[in-house]
Amino acid sequence: MPRKLGSAVPEMIRTLIQPPVTEGYPFKPLQLSERFRGKLDVDPERCTGCGVCALVCPVFCIDMIDVGTRKVGDRELPLKKPEFDLAICISCGECVDNCAFNALELTRQFELATANKQDMVMRKALVK
Amino acid sequence: MILTILQALILPGIAFTITLGFIFEWLERKTMARMMGRVGPMVAGPAGVLQPLADFVKLLYKEEVMPSFADKTVFRYAPGLFFLAPLVSMLFVPVIGPSAVASFSLDLLLIVFILAYATFVVAVLSYASASSFTTVASGRLVLQYVSYEIPLVISIVTPALLVGSLSIQEIVQAQSSRWNLLLMPFSFAVYIVALLAELEKPPFDIPSAKTEIVAGWLTEFSGRALAFLKLSKELGLVFGASLAVALFLGGPLGPVPQSIVPVEIFYTTYFLVKLFALGLLIFVVRTALARLKIIDAAVLFWKILLPLSLAQAFFVLVVKG
Amino acid sequence: MHDTFDKTVQDRKETSAGLMQYSAENLVPFGPIHPALKEPEYFKLILEGERIVDVIPRIGYVHRGLEKAAEQRPWIQNIYMFERTCGICSFAHSTAYVQAVEGLLLYKLPERAKFIRLVVAELERIHSHLLWIGLMGHWAGFETLFMWVWKDREIVLDIVEAIAGNRIHKSLATIEGVKRDIPEPLIPGFIERLKYITTRVHYYRNVVDTESTLLIRTEGIGKISADRLEQLCAVGPLVRAAGIPRDVRRDDPYAAYNDVPMDLVTKSGVDIHTLMQQRLDEVVVSVNMIIYALEHMPPGPVKLRVPPVVPKGENASHVEAPRGELFYFVKSNGGRMPERVKVRTPTLANLPSALEMLKGHTLADVPVVLTGIDPCFGCMDRLSFLDRDSQKLWRWSGEELRQYGIHHYFPERKK
Repeated sequence: MPRKLGSAVPEMIRTLIQPPVTEGYPFKPLQLSERFRGKLDVDPERCTGCGVCALVCPVFCIDMIDVGTRKVGDRELPLKKPEFDLAICISCGECVDNCAFNALELTRQFELATANKQDMVMRKALVK
Repeated sequence: MILTILQALILPGIAFTITLGFIFEWLERKTMARMMGRVGPMVAGPAGVLQPLADFVKLLYKEEVMPSFADKTVFRYAPGLFFLAPLVSMLFVPVIGPSAVASFSLDLLLIVFILAYATFVVAVLSYASASSFTTVASGRLVLQYVSYEIPLVISIVTPALLVGSLSIQEIVQAQSSRWNLLLMPFSFAVYIVALLAELEKPPFDIPSAKTEIVAGWLTEFSGRALAFLKLSKELGLVFGASLAVALFLGGPLGPVPQSIVPVEIFYTTYFLVKLFALGLLIFVVRTALARLKIIDAAVLFWKILLPLSLAQAFFVLVVKG
Repeated sequence: MHDTFDKTVQDRKETSAGLMQYSAENLVPFGPIHPALKEPEYFKLILEGERIVDVIPRIGYVHRGLEKAAEQRPWIQNIYMFERTCGICSFAHSTAYVQAVEGLLLYKLPERAKFIRLVVAELERIHSHLLWIGLMGHWAGFETLFMWVWKDREIVLDIVEAIAGNRIHKSLATIEGVKRDIPEPLIPGFIERLKYITTRVHYYRNVVDTESTLLIRTEGIGKISADRLEQLCAVGPLVRAAGIPRDVRRDDPYAAYNDVPMDLVTKSGVDIHTLMQQRLDEVVVSVNMIIYALEHMPPGPVKLRVPPVVPKGENASHVEAPRGELFYFVKSNGGRMPERVKVRTPTLANLPSALEMLKGHTLADVPVVLTGIDPCFGCMDRLSFLDRDSQKLWRWSGEELRQYGIHHYFPERKK
């Protein structure tokens, strides 16, 4: 093919006339897809404390904490509920897929930066 | 006398040139960004106009670090010497009228000397900051300078050959009927290419190649020295474009209608319009091309541009005589 | 086998002895931190003026101990770890690991899962090649090409986000299938955007072939013969550009590569310009494959539930990552965690060829040639021990490494 100098120039002029493709974030909100895997969210009503999420988590960010006892037949067994450390969570979705009670969900929120690491621990499932 | 000093300090002297330097940097970043589909500076000032000034001020208060093997005297004082060169040269270019702030009969020769002096200071600077990257950069810088200097000087001198005088003021005044660009287009083209090499803009930004030798000769500077060096590079662009406007595009001359507005406004407007048009041309060329290697750049200058400028000069001499 | 091993040890001896003859004046250190390298690796360049005489690499700056960490995590959790070996070829890593494990379980993979794996793998190939073209523009000083190509790469990443939920770490591969299905109503939109990418790639092919300043930087640079590439065991687009038709997708088809037609792209000789043409053509082939797969996708489930225990055995599997052949070896002793996982990435196979391509060129060509093999140093670093004098090659176990660390940093704690 023949060598030309400046084969990029017509495209440059075309790009100059069109609006820029840069997203306006953070001055404008960002368009995310439906399936975007952001922050984890738990429904405390549906969680039964079965503990499967803590078993399958690849980064071990779910801790099962003692919140009381439950009656099974005529025995008293400890009741444990999950506590999520969202700073370690990688939003992979293993816990969401494996929860038999549909208590977990990955939301589209991703702006999680905070100055205090303790803010990132989600304790809302720790109800009796 | 007082008027001359005021002109030298403000318009079209130091303050004017420095403001133009910042505006050119903003214009370059903005047009380059829009041609690539990005936005360029947006936050500092309306449409990001104050961004170059913000960068300059930020660099002023950063810490200065000097490598232990560097030559201390040169490292500390030479950036100031480099900063003076385009400022002094702007005094000889007519901006607000057909006559310049300071002019004498050989000022074109002085301009050529100042260009050589500026590159010499840069070569000394890059050699004095002794690190492996700057050593490579100084070799490339000197080789590039040796290649572009002769076509540059010949293309500067060709308008002087036509007019028969080495004073920029007289060259400008001799273009009141037609521009030199129409008579010597090849000189103009050679001058623009050599100007790209002098300012180290792509395709000739070899001595300060960002992705190969970190920042070339600018690598070891930080803080105030870096702020002034970057500003000096922009002032070099302003001066180079102003010289092209004066020598080839008729300077600030143009039709001046009779009105109550002082005639200087018209002259300055013409000058600025031509200056920005030339600047835009330079920005389009720099965005459209990749970087050459030093050997290919040297070959380009010696084999193509030098004969072209010589041929144009010869043609002008024949036409005149 | 034994005499090739002896020969490589002999080469290494000669290199380390040969290093003594180079004085420190002509040694320009390239890296580990350098604007031309995305990841840190140290190359000692021996220069004469601006010509490179020899290159001596020293790798290992990004070693993270992934193979050891894999032995301490259950099978499914390792998928997420291996996905993060590399950002650009992450799906290739997770697919190769998952395929190696599936060879030990003897379930039949659902057909729809095979097609989805093909679609996502080819999307990853497109995004990786477009990233590479942009980088070549950047190293050559041509920022405009860099910005334009990455602008189009955003379209591909948006498609991946609509399928997987994230642009880079897709978390889609799982043992016996993929985790999510491709949403049916979005498929026509995907096809339209992919056809737009084909037109853009034709434009970039035009720029690469005609722009003079770019041709000066890339034509004739980094030449190496096909025989030498075979000797140095290169893989991927590098050997295909030399004319050797070697591609894992054709030689040993995995996923749905048996059912989707593919054109193998080869060129006739390696230099950087041909590599650019090769990768741009591969993008067009990938787009055609994705459109065919999306239109002919069989219905059905996308994953099967498997018990988290893998029977005893060893298996190896390879995939065609965007950079070349990626090879995973998995050994199980019947438990919840693997006993050994070994990874061989394509960049490690291509690195000797890159060093050979560099000799005789100038310093300005180093970023261009090193990027020509599409390096991903993050995937590359592995650890083994070589005793030069006794010519013994071995590996340490985790306990030996720990003991060495203790003795090295706390010599007073000797047992």
